[in-house]
Amino acid sequence: MSLFKRKDSLPIPPVDSEKYTTVCQYCSAGCGYNVYVWPENRSGTARSNAFKVDLTKQAQLMSGFSYTETMHNVITRKNGKKYNLAIIPAKESRINKGDYSIRGGTNAMTAYTPTGITKSRLKDPLLRKNNGFVPISWDAAVEIIATLTKSSIDKYGADSIAMKFYDHGSSGLGFEDNWGAGKLFLSGIKTQYLSIHNRPAYNSEVWGSRERGMHELNYDVDDARLADTVVLWGANAYEGATVFYTEHIMPNLRGSSVEEKQKEFEAGEPAEAGNIIIIDPRKNATITVSQDINAEKVLHIRPNLGTDWILANAIARVAWENKWYDNDFLQKRTDLKTFEEYKTKSLQLSKSLTALLAEAENITGVPVKQIEQAAEWMAKPKAGNFKRRTLTLYEKGIIWNMKNYDQVAAIAQLNVLTHNVGRVGTGCGRLGGHQEGYVRPPAPTPGSIYAGGPPKNVDKYITGGGGKIYWVGATDPYLSTPNSQFFKKTIHNRATNLLGYLEQGGIPADPKAYAAKVLEAFEKTNGLFVIVQDIYMTHTAQDAMLILPAAGWGEAVDTSVNCHSRLLRIYDKFMDAPGIALPDWKILALVGNKLKALYAAEGNKEMAERFSGMDWKTDAEVFLAGSHEFGDNKVAEADEAKLSAECYKGVTHEILRKLGNEGIQTPVRQDPATGKLIGTKRRYKYSFASKDGLFKWYGTDAWTGYPAEVSKYINNPTYPYWFTTGRSQHVWQTMYHDKLIPEKYLSLPLPYLEVHPEDAVKLNLKSGDMAEVFNEEGSCLALVYVSDATKPGLVFGIMYHAKGSMNNVISSYTDPKTTIPWLKGTKVGVKKYNGTPDEAIKTVSLLPNNNFTM
Amino acid sequence: MTDISRRDFIQVTSASAALLLSGLDNTVIAAPAKGYPMKKIGNIKNLVENEPFAFTYPDDQSPCLLLKLPNEAIGGVGPKKNVVSFSTLCTHMGCPVSYSQGRLVCKCHYSMFDVSRNGQSYQGLASQWIAQITLRFDAVTGNIYAEGVEGLIYGRIGNLKLR
Repeated sequence: MSLFKRKDSLPIPPVDSEKYTTVCQYCSAGCGYNVYVWPENRSGTARSNAFKVDLTKQAQLMSGFSYTETMHNVITRKNGKKYNLAIIPAKESRINKGDYSIRGGTNAMTAYTPTGITKSRLKDPLLRKNNGFVPISWDAAVEIIATLTKSSIDKYGADSIAMKFYDHGSSGLGFEDNWGAGKLFLSGIKTQYLSIHNRPAYNSEVWGSRERGMHELNYDVDDARLADTVVLWGANAYEGATVFYTEHIMPNLRGSSVEEKQKEFEAGEPAEAGNIIIIDPRKNATITVSQDINAEKVLHIRPNLGTDWILANAIARVAWENKWYDNDFLQKRTDLKTFEEYKTKSLQLSKSLTALLAEAENITGVPVKQIEQAAEWMAKPKAGNFKRRTLTLYEKGIIWNMKNYDQVAAIAQLNVLTHNVGRVGTGCGRLGGHQEGYVRPPAPTPGSIYAGGPPKNVDKYITGGGGKIYWVGATDPYLSTPNSQFFKKTIHNRATNLLGYLEQGGIPADPKAYAAKVLEAFEKTNGLFVIVQDIYMTHTAQDAMLILPAAGWGEAVDTSVNCHSRLLRIYDKFMDAPGIALPDWKILALVGNKLKALYAAEGNKEMAERFSGMDWKTDAEVFLAGSHEFGDNKVAEADEAKLSAECYKGVTHEILRKLGNEGIQTPVRQDPATGKLIGTKRRYKYSFASKDGLFKWYGTDAWTGYPAEVSKYINNPTYPYWFTTGRSQHVWQTMYHDKLIPEKYLSLPLPYLEVHPEDAVKLNLKSGDMAEVFNEEGSCLALVYVSDATKPGLVFGIMYHAKGSMNNVISSYTDPKTTIPWLKGTKVGVKKYNGTPDEAIKTVSLLPNNNFTM
Repeated sequence: MTDISRRDFIQVTSASAALLLSGLDNTVIAAPAKGYPMKKIGNIKNLVENEPFAFTYPDDQSPCLLLKLPNEAIGGVGPKKNVVSFSTLCTHMGCPVSYSQGRLVCKCHYSMFDVSRNGQSYQGLASQWIAQITLRFDAVTGNIYAEGVEGLIYGRIGNLKLR
């Protein structure tokens, strides 16, 4: 009767089970988890077990101990023996306190099992031959890559190698793998054609804040419970960083953190349940959950797509006009020279307030009253003239907006103008997507157009015929990159041309001869040699020549920081990787060391030297090697702003293992007097991260309409709908694990489209129908949910799904200042589609996911 | 290997389709799992559409509800295959769920479960679908019996393992 096999009891770990601590492999929240491993044939008892919980009794609600069907698995280790695996949320973690999300709750199900749902994990390096892929040894794979890379560099230059790799933590990655990738691509190969997993170039997504002297991760989870007002700007916290919302924002709205506020606030300062301002074109679940808790405390603002910086500047102008700022702070902590530019261009002081607000309302579609209310909630001093405490978090709604740089800068500046950073209950930065774990040698492009940039657009380079080798690590650009249909078609053609040449006269079996023939193909065709390094076969891998199997989460020792506290913890290894899969850093080191040997053999010392320093033996050694990149961290507390946000110098895997779920917050300092390692709870209390420690202002651009790539659709009746994208609560990224988990793929069987009821009538659509979404960029099919989350005239789609990408219709526009794409806005046509591409449509829930009313 | 990967995916989806077909076919009555008691819950004549009836199963510490829905539901019994039953402990952290508008809602963290779709958690934090009570319908008397549980009831190591 059940749609999939269910369990009605679970194995019990004996007291002497192996125990590890880890952090969830998914979102920016970084919930702590405890891992238990014990032989399959052994069992603890209900009274005596490794959980130290009395399992003879029915558990009380919200006890903080949860062990559900999805938290157990049976794994097979390299010794061939089977072990039980339980991965349960850590009650002792101050991040999640035993709470967990629909994503993290299935961590155990993602573990590799030879016969279970994850059996399709990549196990061997695979080389494309005439009729598919054949397994080869690491020696052969490394020989091919190193020979090709060296020949390409020597003949065409380093820029003939293009790459697309992660720069983040979690997902089985972290500081170790980032240092490995950095050493190979940035120190060794030195190509300019680097791109980061989710975007066409190698850049920060928030140079608009960093170039002001403010790193985006500057707050602590506590600040979400302590703020008078939380602002979520293009940041769907309940569905994207779920436990951060439920454990830290929700208690604030409910008023259950008032006592904490009274302890932390100044004497006599008012402390009450928090307000929340949510700026999002959709009425998504973050808004409706917040409203269900306390509607009077929720302000939902729905700007027109692409207009948020105009809104931020208008709110700032209201605050300025009312003198809701601390003049002493502005004078002492910010750069008064650049402040003039901000006043002129962003605050537009030459215009009357009335004129400015009328203009802002006209552009953004946000009523003046809401702009004024937002300013009040963010900046108006509380009774007794105490400064209000506002925590503002933005994410992809801002980052992947039109004009990335100005959007981010405007929000950062609004918060500094109102002194909402560096104080208890304040902060301004990213909600985050992944966790972080960046340590690399310096990037070729240090900053935006104002700081040595912009960086090269790798998508345009390779779709335009540039490059010979394209190495993709732990990402699936056929789904995730903007204008993905065009991207996929072009790369497919180039890969096919290369394969076609190789097949003439047969593909050589010997790695050296194989590499020689690929080089011939480079001369004779526009062929692209695609390498994919991942844990599963990906959409992009369908066109790879070589696939490299990587170790995943729990199969190597990783370290990362979460986004809401920069909390550095160890993600310990508790199981073996499938087949001969290796950690990313090890794969990259094998290639680096081979390149070093090849250059040394021909006496090219300079090139050999570029590939040196990759002869690590263990994860711990890579972590240590990366730490030297951070420079001297023996600084006083007041100098924390001088440290890189993720600085962990002095920390080792051993130390982190002892700290377990407690972790330590980066930047880590070494106390100048005692040498003791000290974490940083909250940033920029004393100074900002600029040379002179002052916040650097910037005058944003005026509104000039939409870029050509999108404005071509405006007033075109074929494309009447604005289109924006986002994520779903259920699944992580491309669903690389989730597409295998019945609880997930049955609930989210296809890419989906939300259509407003009014538009649904016009389009003759109902929930459960299929629709085609199209424009001149491409098209995609989606399952329809009729939902009041969108506005009339606006449709919303999940960005991408294991079964297709809605980025097919997204343009190739990027912000000229940063090369960050506008992934969340274009115009489309929508048409009913008659077909049932998946049986699961018959069993999927079609209930609206933003309606919590009883 | 590309082919293998594609085939695996198809296998997974067709397996779910096969399950789904048997799920919708009420002539296939799942055999009760071992050890579950058979318990009479009520009679179809006394059920009012959308008005949940509370009971406990398989023991008095496990609150459940019985529901007559407007339409056919996965696992539904009765002439219209629209009578279903679920545990009312949220599978996320054990808070009580309440029925409204076709779903069970937990107000602790806002997980929601679709009662006509096998208790799937279509929104919220619960990674486990809520436990569905297997029902038996006696067409002669109209009596409805609980005879098993599909899925783990929150807060226990086994549905039948409390002491």
